[in-house]
Amino acid sequence: MKITVKAFAMFREVMDMQIELEFPDGATVRTLLTSLTARYEGLSEVMFAAPDTLRDFVNILRNGRNIHFIAGLDTPLDNGDIIALFPPAAGG
Amino acid sequence: MSAESLDARYQRQIPLFGKEGQKKLKNARILLAGAGGLGSAIAMYLAAAGVGYIRIVDEDVVETSNLNRQILYRETDIGSCKVEAAEKTIHALNRDVDVDAVCRHINEKSVGNLVQGVDMILDGMDNFAARYILNRAGLDEKIPFIHGAVNGFYGQVTTLIPGVTPCLRCIIPTTPTWEKNAIIGVTCGAIGSIEATEAIKYITGTGELLKNRLLLWDGLRGESESIQIVNSPECTDCGFSESEPDARRFPV
Repeated sequence: MKITVKAFAMFREVMDMQIELEFPDGATVRTLLTSLTARYEGLSEVMFAAPDTLRDFVNILRNGRNIHFIAGLDTPLDNGDIIALFPPAAGG
Repeated sequence: MSAESLDARYQRQIPLFGKEGQKKLKNARILLAGAGGLGSAIAMYLAAAGVGYIRIVDEDVVETSNLNRQILYRETDIGSCKVEAAEKTIHALNRDVDVDAVCRHINEKSVGNLVQGVDMILDGMDNFAARYILNRAGLDEKIPFIHGAVNGFYGQVTTLIPGVTPCLRCIIPTTPTWEKNAIIGVTCGAIGSIEATEAIKYITGTGELLKNRLLLWDGLRGESESIQIVNSPECTDCGFSESEPDARRFPV
């Protein structure tokens, strides 16, 4: 299946703004992040506080819905999904 | 101001939404939460456009380090209460704007009074704890909440309408803990102007609102993109479900 990943703000400093990746059936957000962190040096440090624990500012939307309210890193992926990675700005 | 001079004042924008739209702006009542960088841009553009009533809330005093971005203030305002200085600047631009300057902390206790009688809430806050309080108040009172935030050359903005769009908690469920980050006026100007644009469109019924989309601004690369956002039925704040829009958890 084909997944489109869009990265925003400081994630763009360590990875491409947009990338399309192929995965076998059964892939999850964890599969996707494993693939991305293997591809982009420095991404793991930006995203993860500890193995398997995302930093609190890492927001991941699957087709617009936050994976926090789906199944977190175990959120399943489907062909054509768009995954957005963004660290929300907080200042004013 | 007389009707003639009012027409002259707004003659360049009335073609966008008619005299009716201008009257709607005059009758609009806005809560501007925060009088910092975002709040400055929002306040100046809404006042210039002729929004009739702005309740501006902030508890801080003007500091030297604010002046790189908070264009409501001048060097002579340092040490003054922000909302009082803001009121002066707004009135110097447009004395017809009714400014309600409220020097108060926004928390669960104060927010109920602050949202009373306003048509919409504009986000000029610098922290998510306060934004979640405003988000909740908007849901409870069914008042649109225009969210904006900035970090360095980056920013994001979206228009959140109870029962129509996701709420803030749906898209950003937990407080992102940041160290005090770099911040520059131009980003506040970009995001604050989009927030003010959303307010003007909402009030006058013009154009398409930035709803169900999150606009992410990247000033470093000169790029912006708006991505789809959808509500989460599991959201702890709105619990909004498309199939059961009336089953929201917040009081109706």
